[in-house]
Amino acid sequence: MRLDAESDTYTESQIIMTTVRIVAPFALTYGLFLTFHGADTPGGSFQGGAIIGSTILMIAFAFGIEPTRDWLANRTVVALAAGGTAVFTIVGLIPMLYGDNFLAHPFFEEQWGIDTKWGLEAIEIGGVAPIVAGVVMGMFFVIAAGFVVEEVDVDD
Amino acid sequence: MSELFAGVLFAFVLAAALATAAFRDTLTVIVVFAAYSLGMALFYAFLLAPDVAMTEAAIGAGVTTLLLLLTLAKTVREDTDRLVERVNIPAVVVFGGLLVVMLATLGEFPAVGADDAMAWYNPEVTQHYIANAYDDTGVKNAVTAVLAGYRGFDTFGEAVVVFSAGVATLIVLNKEVFTRE
Repeated sequence: MRLDAESDTYTESQIIMTTVRIVAPFALTYGLFLTFHGADTPGGSFQGGAIIGSTILMIAFAFGIEPTRDWLANRTVVALAAGGTAVFTIVGLIPMLYGDNFLAHPFFEEQWGIDTKWGLEAIEIGGVAPIVAGVVMGMFFVIAAGFVVEEVDVDD
Repeated sequence: MSELFAGVLFAFVLAAALATAAFRDTLTVIVVFAAYSLGMALFYAFLLAPDVAMTEAAIGAGVTTLLLLLTLAKTVREDTDRLVERVNIPAVVVFGGLLVVMLATLGEFPAVGADDAMAWYNPEVTQHYIANAYDDTGVKNAVTAVLAGYRGFDTFGEAVVVFSAGVATLIVLNKEVFTRE
């Protein structure tokens, strides 16, 4: 049994909207801080990405899921997850092109004088964080949309 | 003082876990489970594992709770007058057996911060990371150095698993969600 996908579970609440308006910027900043500063302080891009994703979930709960999904322009979420995986893969593959090992970060320092540190930062900030944020948002929106069970002929 | 804090926290987490199992109403269970996750997050922070604490707070208490609430809003909740679930005798027997086994192993665990903790069973590896992480990778957080540097290939696997799991969920549940204009 399934309720209508558009059935309104959203209730406009001044309290929730005001709270989220105040809390969301701080939560987003904290998520970004964990992501960008994860190399030097506790935390990291997984936690940061999860918190960035939760900020969007918070906004969706306060201001309605449909408007939030429209605002995110549909494909942004998938682009985040796919782009993160691509960045991670490409950063790993670059050393292989020059005959080094997969994800051999010291290669960048030996070859082009880029600190080893930036290889790690690239896969953390450009890879893991977008993947986690994208998947968290995607799971949320897909469950919020409801599951459309189509009538399918058994013979097909 | 810190032992008192740990004791109170332990009692809270235990009570929340039991309440999660006992309460009958699904909405109540979700809220109590979120409280349990929050307690566990504090516990991890208390045990000096801030990374795990942040993950537990964000994923366990935050995202999981929201996803469960959303699922509940999308489905039909059974109205009930009973506060607690009926006790299932076979389940209690199985759980009791498991509890006895787990309690039996508890004595073998080293104390928190003890010199003979598991981390020191393989000192060549752990000490190598602690001593060389900064020189090798240039990042000050040794956890990040291990995750993204030394064990980068494992992290790559995990990232791909998260991505594929997310994409698979989108495809299986409803492929139309993100194409709707």
